[in-house]
Amino acid sequence: MDKIEIQKQVINVVAKVLKMDALEVSPAANFIFDLGADSMQSLELIAGFEEEFNIEMDEDKALAVQTVSDAVEFIHGYL
Amino acid sequence: MTSKTEIHKKNLEKIFYPESVAIIGANKVRGTVPYDIIANILKADFNGIVFPVSPREKFIAGIKSYQYVVDIEDPVDLAILVFPSSVCHMALEQCGQKGIKSAIIISAGFKEVGGEGIEREKQIKAIADKYDMSFIGPNCLGVINTDPSSRINASFARKMPEEGSIGFLSQSGALCTAVLDYAQAKHIGFSKFISFGNKADISEIDLLYYLKDDPKTKVILMYLEEVSDGIALMKAAQDVISKSGKPILVLKSGRTSEGASAAASHTGSLAGSDEICDAAFKQAGIIRCSNIEEMFNIAIAFAYQPPPKTNSIAIITNAGGPGVLTTDAAIHDGLKLAVFSDETTAILKKNLPKTANIKNPVDVIGDARADRYNIALTSAFNDPAVDAVFVILTPQSMTDIDLIAREVAKVSSHYKKPVYASFMGEADVKEGIDVLQRNKIPHYSLPESMSKAVATVYKFNQEKHDIVKKERIFNDLKPEIAKAILNNAIAENVGYLTEETALKVLEAYGLPVLESYLANTSAEAAQYAEKIGFPAVMKVMSEDIIHKFDVGGVVLNIQDTEDAKTAYETILKNVQVKQPDAKVKGVLVTKMVSSGQEVILGLKRDPSFNSVIMFGLGGIFVEIFKDVSFRIAPVDEISAKAMINEIKSSAILRGARGKAVSDIQSIVESIMRLSKLATDCPQIKELDINPLIVLEEGKGCYIADAKIMLSINSK
Repeated sequence: MDKIEIQKQVINVVAKVLKMDALEVSPAANFIFDLGADSMQSLELIAGFEEEFNIEMDEDKALAVQTVSDAVEFIHGYL
Repeated sequence: MTSKTEIHKKNLEKIFYPESVAIIGANKVRGTVPYDIIANILKADFNGIVFPVSPREKFIAGIKSYQYVVDIEDPVDLAILVFPSSVCHMALEQCGQKGIKSAIIISAGFKEVGGEGIEREKQIKAIADKYDMSFIGPNCLGVINTDPSSRINASFARKMPEEGSIGFLSQSGALCTAVLDYAQAKHIGFSKFISFGNKADISEIDLLYYLKDDPKTKVILMYLEEVSDGIALMKAAQDVISKSGKPILVLKSGRTSEGASAAASHTGSLAGSDEICDAAFKQAGIIRCSNIEEMFNIAIAFAYQPPPKTNSIAIITNAGGPGVLTTDAAIHDGLKLAVFSDETTAILKKNLPKTANIKNPVDVIGDARADRYNIALTSAFNDPAVDAVFVILTPQSMTDIDLIAREVAKVSSHYKKPVYASFMGEADVKEGIDVLQRNKIPHYSLPESMSKAVATVYKFNQEKHDIVKKERIFNDLKPEIAKAILNNAIAENVGYLTEETALKVLEAYGLPVLESYLANTSAEAAQYAEKIGFPAVMKVMSEDIIHKFDVGGVVLNIQDTEDAKTAYETILKNVQVKQPDAKVKGVLVTKMVSSGQEVILGLKRDPSFNSVIMFGLGGIFVEIFKDVSFRIAPVDEISAKAMINEIKSSAILRGARGKAVSDIQSIVESIMRLSKLATDCPQIKELDINPLIVLEEGKGCYIADAKIMLSINSK
């Protein structure tokens, strides 16, 4: 899977978990600072990515990921 | 003051008196820190505009919310950051771009968690410096200002305290909430209430200077967990006390000592971190308290009443036992019972029952009601010999507690003399206590607490003008000699100076060393002993031997030439047996001073307070009895005298039980000279002069032994 496809799916997961329009989610957006994710939603995002991409991520490392584009890179490493 | 200090001073004004506040990282969820801070600000009737900043919410608590702080069109005076620590730097950067100069960072997850948290803290500090911003925190409860012109509760405490004149600073946020609850129950009000957390930018020092100039603050209370810059704290405290006359009460946790066991000198092992802290606070005029209750007991005495002009008090009681207890406590704490004038005695005799005690302590008898208290109080206040009044009450069946409390408040309001009360008990006296507390009459559950608080106020007011010390200037010092010796030793990687070399350093600072010579043969030793005069002392000199007695390296009371030769041989033989690897430089020959009092002087370095000077009665029991006192260098004459008077055994020096009075002034002189050596020569890590032999008054003192440990890596 290429990074463009990963990004598309990541944005869809983010929009679903944070209950917002996918168009509002830019690649540079910070989950907390720009999108307002709280700690519970951060965990939901990790679960959403694992389900979407059928992977199991290191939770501590995943929680340290701050932006959509960083999440794309991080998930790419598991695929 | 440094420029950053100036910046803080200016920016702190906007922390306490902002006209607009942005809460960055706000949300709508009740019971969370971000929401509760907004709710607290709104509930406290803040006299300014509130801007919630939230990435996703359009309105919070009915107020328009902004996605970013830079989206706010109007100017913002204060930013309160409640975002998780991982993005605080982004929020603070935007604050800088927006031109906000003052911030409170509530968020945790910085230095206190170690690792990445330390880096995050450095990052936010760098951003603040870049924009000339100042912030309180991170990892704090927030800030409260009760001044009606602002009324801001920028914290997630449960309640807004009453307005008052106590400024409270705390390193612990959790303690703040406990203190607020404690204070509310006793109607204790605050001027400013500040939880400063990790103090990454604004420290307790900056806050002390701010409160010094705050017209709403009369008393400063502080809870500290660690003292990071002890010298700066002492300087700030001295400035606050000497310039504003405001007392500083500190509750400092961490009374356990550390590292003392590894110390090579007596001073090192006796000077634990808490003892040093105690000494430093005392020297700076800071009143150290043991617990929250004691701190507030003293604080209300300062805050509610004028200080007593003298220590002469009147006690009015309706019970004999508590009257005696109060008298005992007062005398113990350095107060005294006023002797009433004939006029006062006559009024009391005329108006009180025959069974009443009309002398001080006045016992108005168990069945007394408000009228008898009125007579006793009025008489006491009118008596020129009385400068403070203690009111004691125990609840009998006929005691009109509430009315008596009102009488105390009413009568005392007509006088400028202070009044304090102890309504003893709990349930029955509750309403009376409430009346007292609402009328700002300091109330104490126990008369002993009252006595201690009032004595503390009296002592502080007596001593506050002497807080700034004047170091003596000596014109006969030769610091270049001392520094050259110390630097040479360090260059040669020597960590310990032998007595012979140590004495040269001490001599350069005018400390009283005896004539001495280093002998390398028994004939030389005998010759030097003859020159100095008998009786003489000989000691082995080796950088490898710190405890000379332990290796048989000392011979005392050498009476003649033959003795001297034998002593020399004996010393070398003993060392050869007990420490064969030691490199011996020679044997030091000195005069033996046998008729004097042995004391110890010492120096130790402390990470917070730098040069710590120690004094105590010397000899072999110094570490057992631990009867020693400490001060932070520079030590002036008043402090040096206080050090001597402070130890329990100082009476021995003053000539107890028929002994001759010792030359105390010569010790004072030696302490000040040692203090100067300590501040001039950071190369010295630890130093012991043990013993310093003090002769009779007017005859001086002499160093009989000394050792100096060096800090390798410092010149």
